[in-house]
Amino acid sequence: MMLRELLLLAALLFSIGIYGVLTRRHAVAVLLSIELMANAANVAFVAFATLRGGPGEVLVLFSLAITVSEVAVGLALVMLLHRRYGDTVLDLAQEAKG
Amino acid sequence: MNTPGTPELLGLLALLAPAAAALVLGVVPWLRRSGGAAAVVAIAGSTVALVAAVAVLAQRAGGGPDVLWTVSWLEAGGRGLARVGVRLDGVSVPMLAVVTFVALAVQVYSVAYMHAETARSYGRYFAYHALFLFSMNLLVLAPNLLQAFAGWELVGVTSYLLIGFHFDRPSAARAAVKAFWMTKLADMGFLFALLLLYTAGGSFEWTASLRPAVAGAVTALLFIAVVGKSAQFPLHIWLPDAMEGPTPVSALLHAATMVAAGVYLVVRADPLFAQAPATREVMLFLGAGTAAFAALLALVQTDIKRMLAFSTCSQLGFMVAALGAGSAFAGFFHLGTHAFFKALLFLAAGSVIHAVHSNELSQMGGLRRRMPLTTVVFAIGALSLAGIPGFAGFASKDTVIGAVEGQGGGVPYFLLLGTAFVTALYMGRALLRAFFGPPCAAAAHAHEPPLSMTAPLVLLAIPSVLAGLLGGWLARSVGAEYHLHLAPTPVLAAALSLAGLLLAVALFRQGRPAPLAAFLERADRASLVDRSWALLYRQVLIRVADVSRWVDRYLVDGLMNGIGWSTLETGSAVRPVQTGRMRDYVFAVMVGALLLAWIGGFR
Repeated sequence: MMLRELLLLAALLFSIGIYGVLTRRHAVAVLLSIELMANAANVAFVAFATLRGGPGEVLVLFSLAITVSEVAVGLALVMLLHRRYGDTVLDLAQEAKG
Repeated sequence: MNTPGTPELLGLLALLAPAAAALVLGVVPWLRRSGGAAAVVAIAGSTVALVAAVAVLAQRAGGGPDVLWTVSWLEAGGRGLARVGVRLDGVSVPMLAVVTFVALAVQVYSVAYMHAETARSYGRYFAYHALFLFSMNLLVLAPNLLQAFAGWELVGVTSYLLIGFHFDRPSAARAAVKAFWMTKLADMGFLFALLLLYTAGGSFEWTASLRPAVAGAVTALLFIAVVGKSAQFPLHIWLPDAMEGPTPVSALLHAATMVAAGVYLVVRADPLFAQAPATREVMLFLGAGTAAFAALLALVQTDIKRMLAFSTCSQLGFMVAALGAGSAFAGFFHLGTHAFFKALLFLAAGSVIHAVHSNELSQMGGLRRRMPLTTVVFAIGALSLAGIPGFAGFASKDTVIGAVEGQGGGVPYFLLLGTAFVTALYMGRALLRAFFGPPCAAAAHAHEPPLSMTAPLVLLAIPSVLAGLLGGWLARSVGAEYHLHLAPTPVLAAALSLAGLLLAVALFRQGRPAPLAAFLERADRASLVDRSWALLYRQVLIRVADVSRWVDRYLVDGLMNGIGWSTLETGSAVRPVQTGRMRDYVFAVMVGALLLAWIGGFR
């Protein structure tokens, strides 16, 4: 059962990503974790495409393009964060506190 | 909307000329504050109204038809709530003529009478007068009860404004509030009558035909409003106090026109009242009772204006009794003649007050040498009011008593005959006290008022004598029968009036007190009706108002404030959820996603 293992891999990658997003304090680490989550989706796409057919590979290309743009925006935000607080620890930005 | 023809245009002119004057005086402050110019504007409006009214009258006298011109009002769903406009027929046209004539006479008289006022309040006075004439004409020309109600309330407001004209005098302010309060209480009857009429009949027409029970309720409610406006027992108490207003106001509003609006309303709504014999029965007794009661109190008044006010109550009682006897014509006829001679009496009293600077009969006396013209016109008014043959009051009062007799006589009939006697007695008393007898201190300096005041007196004196001759014409106009004939009742009434006058001469030349004076004075001072209302007001109404205030402040406002407060508190309580930390939000999103997935797994 190839598909099952591949999907488990995707789920594992996704969970590690979530864990990273929730636990990392530094913005760059959070961005990396987000990349992991996106790639979990990509793995699932490719797994389905090769084993079941369908346009999954095309969607992976789209996904990669979007992820790259997202990283560009994310790194810009990290720069701003650093400029503003002198560090890239996410918990410093708490202006939205109620 | 149809285009109005000539009579409709004249009717509209009579309505809108005073409205225009009131509007101009209302929105152009410098004109109102200029004083004299304001008087010119108001009097111009009234003159146009009078000319229009006379033209309509002439047209009708020449055989013109009834005219109804209306536009739809408050349209909703393609159907108007009611129609408003002018109705010119045998009832409204004579009334319009009387109202505009007396109003113009009073306004001209006021020009000199009010000259001591500051320019500001002088202008305000005439602005109110213009507003009053518009309101009264709105009521008189009303094609249905709804427009009549609008006019009815507006004359109530102008009455309040004019009674409280000298609002810096506490007694005047109190009197104004009292008049407003009492009439407003009664006006609730009108409002409920309108609601009932519309619910039951679907219209506000004067001629709606109703089920007997509904007709009884509608007319009874309307009659409550009439009792208030026309100062009948037990709501009459505001009228003597209303004498705090300037004397010309008393003449116009509180003698000739506004207080007669109640009577006019019943005449107008005669088709409704004809369906309610029980209401008429009550009106007959209440009217006759008020006539007698107020006449007796008039006998012991020391203030000439209060005396005339009680006399007005009494005469309105005659009219109401006539309406109760089913003779709208008799009531209407007496309304017309009374408007002339009572306005005359008030204006003549005004020129006496002007001369001696007091309302008290005891401060007057012997004025006939210094003020011969005023004496003559006051005497004409007094004799007309007393119902002496040859004067207008005789013809109309006899019609009233005859109508009551035709209804079966009984107690009201004898009450009215007795009242005719007392009326002559108290008018004789006032006449002798003010103009004859030993001259008072002020008599030496008293002088006739200027021409602008005497001219209206003379103009009112003429119809006070001759208006009785119009009885036959007026009867045809309203569709009733009238003929003066030698029957026991008119002779008896005339004899009683003459006897009253002779007794007055016999008693009051020597300055002796009126019969029953001690008892009546005590009754007047005790003023039980007044006190009962005061008690009701203080003990019941104020308490109810306090409870309402409490309910409003703590329950109604409390509910609203509570909703607002709890919203704020809930907001404060859940505020910490928004930590501002990114990871918490992401965590919430994850939990939400898992929750959705979990729920989805179950389906």
